[in-house]
Amino acid sequence: MDRGFLAESVRSALEAIKTNKLRSLLTTLGIIIGVTTVIAVISVITGLKQQVASSFSSLGANVLYVQKFPWVMGGGGIDWWKIRQRRDIGMQEVRALKEYGSAFKYVAPQISNRFEVKRGDKKASGVSIDGTTEDFPEIMNQRVKLGRFLSADDIQYRKDVCVLGNDVATTLFPDENPIGKNVRINGRLFTVIGLLEELGEMMGQSMDNVAIIPYTTMSKFTGIRRSITIAVLTEDEEEAREEIRWILRRTRKVKEDEEDDFSINSAGALTKQFNQLTKALFIIMIGIAGISLVVGGIGIMNIMLVSVTERTREIGVRKAIGAKSSEILGQFLLESVMICLVGGVIGVLLGFSLTKLISLAGKIPFGMPIWGILLGFGFSFVTGVFFGFYPARKAAALSPVEALRYE
Amino acid sequence: MSKLIEMENVKKTYKLGDTEVHALQGVNLTISRGEFISIVGPSGSGKSTLMHIIGCLDVPTSGEYHLQQRDVGEMNDDELADIRKELIGFVFQDFYLMPDVSAWYNVSLPMIYNRIPPKARKERAVQLLDNVGLYHRIYHLPNQLSGGERQRVTIARALANNPEIILADEPTGNLDSKIGEEIMKIFYRLHEEGKTVILVTHEHYVADQAERKVHLKDGMIEFEE
Repeated sequence: MDRGFLAESVRSALEAIKTNKLRSLLTTLGIIIGVTTVIAVISVITGLKQQVASSFSSLGANVLYVQKFPWVMGGGGIDWWKIRQRRDIGMQEVRALKEYGSAFKYVAPQISNRFEVKRGDKKASGVSIDGTTEDFPEIMNQRVKLGRFLSADDIQYRKDVCVLGNDVATTLFPDENPIGKNVRINGRLFTVIGLLEELGEMMGQSMDNVAIIPYTTMSKFTGIRRSITIAVLTEDEEEAREEIRWILRRTRKVKEDEEDDFSINSAGALTKQFNQLTKALFIIMIGIAGISLVVGGIGIMNIMLVSVTERTREIGVRKAIGAKSSEILGQFLLESVMICLVGGVIGVLLGFSLTKLISLAGKIPFGMPIWGILLGFGFSFVTGVFFGFYPARKAAALSPVEALRYE
Repeated sequence: MSKLIEMENVKKTYKLGDTEVHALQGVNLTISRGEFISIVGPSGSGKSTLMHIIGCLDVPTSGEYHLQQRDVGEMNDDELADIRKELIGFVFQDFYLMPDVSAWYNVSLPMIYNRIPPKARKERAVQLLDNVGLYHRIYHLPNQLSGGERQRVTIARALANNPEIILADEPTGNLDSKIGEEIMKIFYRLHEEGKTVILVTHEHYVADQAERKVHLKDGMIEFEE
């Protein structure tokens, strides 16, 4: 297409849109809604994925969590009642895994509870207290930035010592070195032996509002009332999973024809589940977007037919001064594409704002992929061409004489 | 003078619902290059139809029409569009200017379809407007111009691609007689400059200014003078 002719077509299309601002806007509403939906959904899901990926990575790669309850309730056929009836997981299972296991490097119990931690008149509430062993930091890839972690001795002799997470430490010791100082956890006196490096947030919750104590001490002063978690660091997740199943089924005397009465959870399985969920969401939203684009497209076709009728005389004049049918076709096609692209631009901007709002309100990272924007524009472009073709062809096929005579 | 337009037994039939309208019933007409000719006749005599066929806006139902020795009946739509673009300049009774663009842009429109570069386009449009005495009106919109000025813009537009033939359909029909005479002067000048000017009109004082008058009645040429 020649540049002069293209410029004239663009000018004429803009003029037509300008003359009928409200009409054009209403016409593009379907496109706007469609593109907004596409952009917002893609962006929010991208943001969620980023967050989930970073959160799950803090759960540790190659770490399996043996627990009473599964994290993932997928696939149907899971009998919640049956799961509730499962026997608790306790230290017996930890010992069995340590004794018979060969496919994994570290095994550690994790007994969790929430208590208040106090020092003098300062207090940190809702602190997650984890009772565990000296192997815990290896599995969780945790580092001590000051002091030391729990030792085998601390575990064996049920010492009243604790390692504090960053949040707790800064609350209780705003301007002094906490090592060697005493704190009270649920009323019991503990000596601080170390400080953990910061971990950040997961799913909007701080991972640093923790204190770690020997599991032996934990069971001494609270008892093990609930089922515990066993964290296992593996090299090959699948192999380790099979071995854990084999060991636990024997230890817990599960009959051959019965299902496992425990769950082996991992970040990988969680990610998989999440991806399935987002995929379903994607398909639904793309469907909604598709429908609104079709509705919008029909609107475009309608308004372009009106436009062709209104401008019959103009078409006649253009033909009289030498415009070819193909040039009339191009002009009207361009007009419908431009109306759609205006809708696309508004849709992208609205989608952008909507995503920004959602990310602010939901504390989700803001992610707006370029391909999402391109998809939005692509959609509106294709709609413009597809639904603009029939009216444009009608304009092109007008006989010059009849078009000039049209009143 | 060489023959520009040769029509032989040209007929045009329209279908209006169930009835057939025989707008032209066998016209034989030859026009040479550089002639100043008027086609006159009462309404319904077929003069508009004849003009449309001469201007390649329409094709005959039967008969032969040769334009510059080329058979128009054999041409496809794109070739007809090229003829209109390069050989013919139309001047309409109702001007048919684009309402939302300035005078010079209106004049430049045919050049857009002729792929003239933007700068040359504007220069020529301004020159053409200057030639019809509208240099001071180049940026005005059509509705800011008087009827006579609008018709002069239309004439400038008709000349944009330097056509051989100027085809005017009742060019003074919407103007008072004084303004109409001014417009006629322009046509006369164009004729003197070598253009072939064909006027379709029912006003005799307009038709009289042409060198040759073709009277049309009931779709046939009644007589010439």
